[in-house]
Amino acid sequence: MISRLFGFFTVIFGVLVLTFLLIHLVPGDPVEVMLGESASMADREALREQLGLNQPLITQFGTYLNKLAHGDLGQSIHTKTPITELFKTRYPASVQLALLSMLIGLLVGVPLGVYAALKAGRWQDVVVTVVSVRLSAMPVFWLGPILMLVFAVWLGWLPVSGMDEPAAIILPALTLGFGLSAILTRMTRTSLLEVLNEDFIRTARAKGLSERAVIVRHALRAALLPIVTIVGLQMGSLLAGTVITETIFSWDGIGRLLVESIEKRDYPVTQACVLAVALSYVVINFLTDIAYRLVDPRMRHA
Amino acid sequence: MANMIKATVLSILLFWLLAVIIGRVLGLHGNEVDLHQVLANPSWQHWFGADDLGRDILARILRGVEVSFLVALGVTTVTMTVGVTIGLLAGFYGGKLDKVLMQITDIFLAFPGILLAIAFAAVLGPGIFNLMIALCLTGWVSYARLTRAQTLSLRNRQHVLASESLGAKPLRLMRYHIFPLLLPVLIVEATYSVASIMIAEASLSFLGLGIQAPNASWGAMLRDAVRYMLVAPHYVLLVGASLMSLILAINLGGDYLRDKLDIASSSANEI
Repeated sequence: MISRLFGFFTVIFGVLVLTFLLIHLVPGDPVEVMLGESASMADREALREQLGLNQPLITQFGTYLNKLAHGDLGQSIHTKTPITELFKTRYPASVQLALLSMLIGLLVGVPLGVYAALKAGRWQDVVVTVVSVRLSAMPVFWLGPILMLVFAVWLGWLPVSGMDEPAAIILPALTLGFGLSAILTRMTRTSLLEVLNEDFIRTARAKGLSERAVIVRHALRAALLPIVTIVGLQMGSLLAGTVITETIFSWDGIGRLLVESIEKRDYPVTQACVLAVALSYVVINFLTDIAYRLVDPRMRHA
Repeated sequence: MANMIKATVLSILLFWLLAVIIGRVLGLHGNEVDLHQVLANPSWQHWFGADDLGRDILARILRGVEVSFLVALGVTTVTMTVGVTIGLLAGFYGGKLDKVLMQITDIFLAFPGILLAIAFAAVLGPGIFNLMIALCLTGWVSYARLTRAQTLSLRNRQHVLASESLGAKPLRLMRYHIFPLLLPVLIVEATYSVASIMIAEASLSFLGLGIQAPNASWGAMLRDAVRYMLVAPHYVLLVGASLMSLILAINLGGDYLRDKLDIASSSANEI
């Protein structure tokens, strides 16, 4: 546990270093790239001063950490809005999208996985497995437009994009949830098949429980444990997956903010977005790890 | 089943290869603007229709195939070389070196999906070369991890120990006694990674970070296609379907190789 905590903090530190260094990877003068060649000398110096780029690297890093510790993510170089202010609406929007996608993934993936496991080796199983393996490889920038085309343009059931109507979240959430449900289907299938071979299932069957009770009360409870890990791990990937999905559907989350900031060369915002997503990912993974230990009695001493 | 997969994979790959070669021979480059044909539907003149500048979509897709495949091959070669070297060193020597190297991979793995590649590409500036650098900077990690894990288990195999006791130097052990045994796993991993790099390249180009106009790339085409989806749905459907067929073929090829080379669960693509 202690070593895990140590690893957790070194990774966080590494993430901070890497995101801090991002701005220094800009070829040439970052200030010139950000402001454009026509910017006046005074403007450049002002920005350089503001970003602290004229100080030694190590001092800059210190300042960066210090500001972060005080909840100061810097400000947008164009609109001068504090980035924390931008995050107040953007971050929840992404989390909302990720949560709904997760829900869709679970609602589709787990039942399908159970179905495939119960039909193991038969054609239904083969179809579900093959389809899910390959669907999970379907990139969002292809699935998203197709869903948009079918459900928004042709059928007209759902809004094309934006955030004005509550229903607007459905298509981006489906786009993200789709790949996830494929992963969950496979995980549930594998995990359930493993559990079905265990002695306690044979015992449950031997004492005359109905097949339904065996599956639902005994097998599924044990089989869903690894799913906890997957859900946690995927939650972080979902936050990253939102970058393209949010762009396609004009969903004003942190992913779209990242893309916008890249287009405007607003590097402090880019940096903050990358940091926010990466930190969320690391923290969620760590919490998942702990949750898994709490849920699974066998893991408590491992 | 296996034969069917093999046949499908080969025919899709052959189809695209032939199409690209024929396109080259005919001198199609898909950059001819024809304003009478803006967003035209598929026809005999333009089999896949025309894009928002009246350029032939099929010709541009073929260019996209070429570019994305070359990018994927290039990036895979570099990341595999770097990753395998790091993984071999970490797994072979163990100890502090291993700890430090794995800590670094942990940090890279802390960035989900292609976020880090997006970040690198963003600060390096758009362009195909920077895109490749960004993908290389993030792509080596999985090879390093995989190679290290394999090396750890191979390190104490009898033939390695025997050779070591006969006086073989570490470099020789790694090169002749460990590396050849890694090859099957690496080949399979490389196949999958060609597909995933093609997707990553398309994602970055989609965000405007990859290949720049007027050169064709799948991501950029998809972005334009989404913009004109209402008037020209064939654009997005055909570009996407082409991309998917190729990705699917490569992934299935990976599955086939994995079964053929009899590799137990090791890749991220495993169930």
